[in-house]
Amino acid sequence: MKQDADGFLVELRLPNEESIQVSSNDHIWDAAFNAGIVLPALCHQGYCLTCAGRLENPGEVDQSDSLAYFPEDREAGFVLLCTAKPRSDLRIRTHQAKQMREFRKKKSLPAPYSWSAK
Amino acid sequence: MPEQKDVPVVKPGDVTQRVGVEVIRRRGVDVEKLIKMLIANAAAEFASTYYYYTILRMHLAGHEDYKEICEDARLEDRAHWELIVPRIYELGGELPNDLPAFHDQAGCRAAKLPDPPTVVNTLTLLLESERCAIRSWIEICDLTIGKDPRTYDMASRILNEEIEHEAWFIELLAHERDGKTVPSGHFRRGDPGHAPYSKNAAFYNP
Repeated sequence: MKQDADGFLVELRLPNEESIQVSSNDHIWDAAFNAGIVLPALCHQGYCLTCAGRLENPGEVDQSDSLAYFPEDREAGFVLLCTAKPRSDLRIRTHQAKQMREFRKKKSLPAPYSWSAK
Repeated sequence: MPEQKDVPVVKPGDVTQRVGVEVIRRRGVDVEKLIKMLIANAAAEFASTYYYYTILRMHLAGHEDYKEICEDARLEDRAHWELIVPRIYELGGELPNDLPAFHDQAGCRAAKLPDPPTVVNTLTLLLESERCAIRSWIEICDLTIGKDPRTYDMASRILNEEIEHEAWFIELLAHERDGKTVPSGHFRRGDPGHAPYSKNAAFYNP
C-alpha cells in the first residue's frame, strides 16, 4: 500500500488504460470524470450496478456510500465506482455491469436491469 | 406511397414479428436492452416509489403541505407505471411473473421509511429518489431519440414530471432543513395525481 499527500494511485483498466489520482475522500467515478474519463453510470447511488468494475489486484475499497453492496460482492472483487473510495492503490477492470449482474443473479441477490423473459 | 425497402419483411398474418419493433431495431435501437431498461424503470416507479411513497406520506403527519406534494409525486409515479407497461409488451417484453423478482430489477433503491422518520430525512429520501428517476429516464431518452419516437415521447413526458418532482423536494428540503428559499418555480398542481405530461392534462399556464 502506498499513500502520498494526494491519495492513492488507481489504475483503471479501460480499453486504453488510464491511471488517475483519487483522494481517499473522493468517489473513483467522480475523479475519473474530472480527469475526462466518462465511465458508465446511472443511479450514482451504488445501487443499479451500471458503474461496476472489478479489482484485478488485491486492494481496499470503501463502499460505505453504496446503497446496496454485499459481502459477496466484496469477496468476488466487484466494486461500484460511483460510490467507491480508495483505501489503497487499485487496479480496476471497468465496464463490468454485465458480469456483476450475472454474479448477483447466481447468488440470488438483487440484480437491477438484468431481467430477460427470453 | 413511400418506398418500403427499409422496413424488414414481416409476412402478412405473421404474429411472431412486429413491424413496430423491427423498424426501430433497423434504426439502431437495441430493443432487448431497451426492454430491460423499461422493466427496471417500471419497477422503480411501481415498487421503489409508488409503494413506498404511500408509507412516506403517512408519516409526514403534521405537515399537510408536504403530504400533499408527496401524494402528487406518488400518484404521478403510478401514472408513469401505467404508461410504461403497455410499451414493454408492445416491444415484445413482459413483466417478471414474480413480484420479488420484479422489485429486484429496479434501478433505484426502495424509498423505505428512513430511520428515524423525521421530515428532513423523508424529504431527503424523496429528493434522492426523484434524482435517480431523472437519471434513469434521460438514459431512455438518449437511447431512443431520433429512432423510436413512441418510447421517446413517453420517456420525455415522464422525465418532465420527474424534473418537476426534484424541484419540489429541493424547495421543501431547503426550507425545512436549511431555512432557505430555493423556489421550484411552480405554484400548484390540479387535483392529486394531475400528471399533466403523462396524462395529457393541461399544464398550469394561466
